[in-house]
Amino acid sequence: MVVIDVGREDPRLGMADRGPARSAPSIATGWTPLARDALLDRLRVTGRPRPLADPERVARLRDIVEHRPGPGSVVGRGSGGQPSGPGSRTPLVVTKDLLTRALDRDSDLGAGTGPAPSFTVPMACGALIDGLFRQLVTTGSIGDPMADGLDALVLDDRQGELVTWIDNLSPTERGALTAEVDRQCLDLVARWPRLDPSWLPRTQVPMRVGLADGSIELSGRVDLAIGRPGLNVASVAIVEVKSGARRADHRSDLHFYALVETLRSPAPPFAVATYYTRTGELDVDPVSDELLASAARRTAAGIGALCRPTGEGQVSGPATSRAGKVVAAGAGGSGRRRAVVTTGGGGQ
Amino acid sequence: MTRAQELTAKLLAAPGPPVDPGDRQRLRQQLLGAVPALVEKLPAGDQIVVTLPLLRRADRDPETLAAPEEPFSWKPAFVRRSLGLAAIEACFQRRHSTPGEAVGPVADDAVAEWGRTGWRTFHWEPWMAALSPAARSAVLAEAATWATALWSSIDWQPFGSSIRLGGPDDQWTCPAARTVRLKGRSELRIPLQAARGDGSPDPAPRTTLVSVASGIPANGWETELGFLALVASLRSPTRPVPARVVGLWPEAGEHRSVDITRGILAAAVDRVIAGIAAVVEAHLSAVP
Repeated sequence: MVVIDVGREDPRLGMADRGPARSAPSIATGWTPLARDALLDRLRVTGRPRPLADPERVARLRDIVEHRPGPGSVVGRGSGGQPSGPGSRTPLVVTKDLLTRALDRDSDLGAGTGPAPSFTVPMACGALIDGLFRQLVTTGSIGDPMADGLDALVLDDRQGELVTWIDNLSPTERGALTAEVDRQCLDLVARWPRLDPSWLPRTQVPMRVGLADGSIELSGRVDLAIGRPGLNVASVAIVEVKSGARRADHRSDLHFYALVETLRSPAPPFAVATYYTRTGELDVDPVSDELLASAARRTAAGIGALCRPTGEGQVSGPATSRAGKVVAAGAGGSGRRRAVVTTGGGGQ
Repeated sequence: MTRAQELTAKLLAAPGPPVDPGDRQRLRQQLLGAVPALVEKLPAGDQIVVTLPLLRRADRDPETLAAPEEPFSWKPAFVRRSLGLAAIEACFQRRHSTPGEAVGPVADDAVAEWGRTGWRTFHWEPWMAALSPAARSAVLAEAATWATALWSSIDWQPFGSSIRLGGPDDQWTCPAARTVRLKGRSELRIPLQAARGDGSPDPAPRTTLVSVASGIPANGWETELGFLALVASLRSPTRPVPARVVGLWPEAGEHRSVDITRGILAAAVDRVIAGIAAVVEAHLSAVP
């Protein structure tokens, strides 16, 4: 067995290696990141039968999400407690981030409403890796990671402030960011498998589902979807790419995506996965009815939490700005809390 | 039957009765009567281009109508439709297997053609030519995702070569003191072949129009789809009114179909008049 010192300096990039981010085996864990075909097999072969299309499943899940808060709840009601009805002008747009914040009792939903987002180097790394991953899937190659990542970021008008922030980094901070992007990108290129074009790989896939007569929208944008959509048997896998450390809510995010995909398609996805570019870890969850029901209950609870601050059973939906920020607001008046969540952030 | 096969069956279903030519003429006259009066207060040189996105804004975000338009600059979202449709056409003609494979070569060919002849098929060729490989890949990725959603929504097998992907927008200019132009953009135009009485194919068959939109279908989607049929019927009074318009919302995995009747066209005329009124009000309120 090859022994690798996990905490050593990386001679390629001149920065400390933080944790088990090696592409070679560790004596401590005996674990080696999957690469190429092995990684692909891990994603494709779940060991479980693939779910079939089932309209009753979709109806059950909708029922959970729409009715969980119970009679007198805010769901499906607009300002003044009147049913908002189809095509409500301001639906409550529920994203994975908004959901997580709504369910985190310690979080301040008002956070982030300041004049400018507080960017960090890991956040910038996440946004750059997102673009580089997209480039790798689309063209199969990456040149200079930092330059390529920035070139892609500049084209995304939701990322203008982040690009400016990166441009203004000190040489030391910029060096650290470049080193980390280079390191993760090298590993990504070395490990990520080629995807057969017949699997229809597609990146940054937007997904939306309208619920409760249009008063609620579940919304997401997944980094990668593979497999032909719209079939009567589960044929799609969803992959999220994260450049940061593993967190528990990443799995909840995946399950939310599984729910949204199920509600908009004849069949659920057969798997949802998170790929960690920092470590090469791949977390795969086969999609089951239990997983979907749990995700639906969590979503219902989140919607309930989002609605509670308004007090009188009122929902005034969010405004979605051109900058990709979703603002979920109370029905107005003093003392009501607002949530501002950037949906287009990097996958750090 | 898959969802794509179900959708294709709807696209190709036998059309309902055609709109009466007299009704068609009356609707045209209604527009000709209402629109000039609405726009006569606008400053000289002002013009209104009525599109589906504008009608949606007038209905849902009327306050945005007064905002000055941002200067145009190319971005991936502006390229994805034209490049995506060209990629789908390449797949339909079996030059490529999937949109993801097709977008790169199609873009390369367009840029090369522009370099050789100066001819811009898509208008974005000079911009694309100046992009770095990484930026170009972001544009291709955007188009591939858009095109894959449309490509996999439809079973393309039954369509003949007469199907048209993209192409110029339908346009009609209303004679008025200020220019008012209606523009209808459809992603697909599918002729519905129907034999005439003598068994020969109809030389001017009615069509199904397909419109692809982002988001989810909102209130008023029937009228919005009807608007596309209205503009097509105004553009050329001698061509038949489209038989139906089908809207696709790939993000939501939804499609909706509306058979074009006098009632749908009349509702579209009302929506156009209301939209123009909202734009005029916004323009006038923005004038210092």
